[in-house]
Amino acid sequence: MENPIWGDSIFRKSKKKEDIFAVLKQVPIFADLSARELVEIEKIVHKRKYKKSEPIIRKGDPGLGMYIIVKGSVEIIDIDEKNSEKTLASLHDGSFFGDLALLDEAPRSASAIAMVDSEVIGFFRPDFLDLVYRKPKLGIKILLALAKIVGERLRRTNELLAQIQEEKK
Amino acid sequence: MDSYTFQLYSQILKIFWRIFLAILIILAAIVFFPYVKDVLVMFIIAGLLSVLLSPLVDSLESSGFKRGMAILLVMLLILALLAFSFWLIIPRIIHSVEALITKLQSNIISDFGQKVESFFEKHFHNPELARNVTARLDVIGLRLLGSLEGFLKSVGSFLASIVIIPVVTFFLIKDTRRFKKTLISMVPNQYFELSLNILHKTGNQITKYIQGQAIDALLVGILSIIGLFIINIVFSGSVPYFVLIGGLAGLANVIPYIGPIVGAIPALALAILNNPPQLPLVLLWIVILFIVVQAIDNALISPLVVSKSVNMHPLTVIIVIIIGGKIAGALGMLLAVPFTGVMKVILSQVSWGLRNYKISSSLKLRDTFSLR
Repeated sequence: MENPIWGDSIFRKSKKKEDIFAVLKQVPIFADLSARELVEIEKIVHKRKYKKSEPIIRKGDPGLGMYIIVKGSVEIIDIDEKNSEKTLASLHDGSFFGDLALLDEAPRSASAIAMVDSEVIGFFRPDFLDLVYRKPKLGIKILLALAKIVGERLRRTNELLAQIQEEKK
Repeated sequence: MDSYTFQLYSQILKIFWRIFLAILIILAAIVFFPYVKDVLVMFIIAGLLSVLLSPLVDSLESSGFKRGMAILLVMLLILALLAFSFWLIIPRIIHSVEALITKLQSNIISDFGQKVESFFEKHFHNPELARNVTARLDVIGLRLLGSLEGFLKSVGSFLASIVIIPVVTFFLIKDTRRFKKTLISMVPNQYFELSLNILHKTGNQITKYIQGQAIDALLVGILSIIGLFIINIVFSGSVPYFVLIGGLAGLANVIPYIGPIVGAIPALALAILNNPPQLPLVLLWIVILFIVVQAIDNALISPLVVSKSVNMHPLTVIIVIIIGGKIAGALGMLLAVPFTGVMKVILSQVSWGLRNYKISSSLKLRDTFSLR
């Protein structure tokens, strides 16, 4: 069953493209940006490579920003107090995760592990806030897109909650 | 040897090599420090300038200017200000300093000594004690002159670097983000988020601290100049060189606890040297002025502009000023407290990062869980 919170519409899949610029274009947060604005984003993102089984983010660490998968595969896993793992989502090229950390420093709610050797792009809150200050028009566009995604996620969570309550009755 | 022991062994070996490398770097820094001291001071000044000018550049950029153009505009503005200063202000300050030095060299020790001797003879009938005091004052006076000379030499080397510093400042403002990105790209994945977070937090706090100190010094300087100007008018030229003295008071204010006192001393000393008709009243007003300026600074300016995260114990301030003086003379004394503030911010942020990020093991996440 498709996970309603970590579903595909949020982690949108795209064709395999190694070029950062092309990958950024596929991410909903950057969907409304012009080519010139995407160049600005390209300047502040960080490209990283992770080996198979290497953690990208760990549950409980302070949230710093989002990652976009350029190439490879990443699993979002939750580990409870008894150390049992639960896979929340499997993400592939063009998908993204950790986007809520662009808004605040709350601890990560899950861990992300590279399932194969992977390349990701990191877009982080301090760079984003700096961009909002330096280029407010661009910053507002991204913030609006982020708000839409969070709103969509909240709507789906509410629907799921209502569905569960309905089932309990 | 099982896999866990092997991993533990390689971990210990890694830590050993890192400590060894760190010691090597520290030793190399100690050995090369005297050779790179001047360059380092130049970079520190350029760094300070870039931190102070960045908000202006960012602000221009946010109103539509390209970053390169924004930096160029700000740099041109600064160059214009510098040219204006050289044309109008600097010659006057140099003239003031020269006149002050001549006056100090010719009069201070003998005049002041005579005054002290006559004061002791008149009130305590003890010329021996007076001679002891004046002899001690001679030594202090010579030391102060020596420090002033050292400071002026530092200023001289600063003037010699005036061409290089703007260039370094330009690139520091333009490419700071690129430098940070390159630096962070070299960090292993395990420490990546931790390092990035610490780098940003530290950068922000240091920027706020330096900008706060600069605004604080500027406002205290302006208030002192206005106050001394008024005293000068009321008591008809009793405190000469009040712009220089007020400016020094603002600069000295960077040093907590000691700075305000150091800032007031030149004004008092000059008033005594000038010996106006109502000297005690002038001295009283100078003291009142500096107390009022400090009260305004402590109650209104500091709480608004100076970061509280770098509060220091008075003893720490004294120790770092002594060390700063030993390393780089008068300039070292002035930069010691801000430098310690910066170090304190870095240490507190690193400590925060180590407490909040789970980086105790370099093992893969899944392996870590299976070992539990």
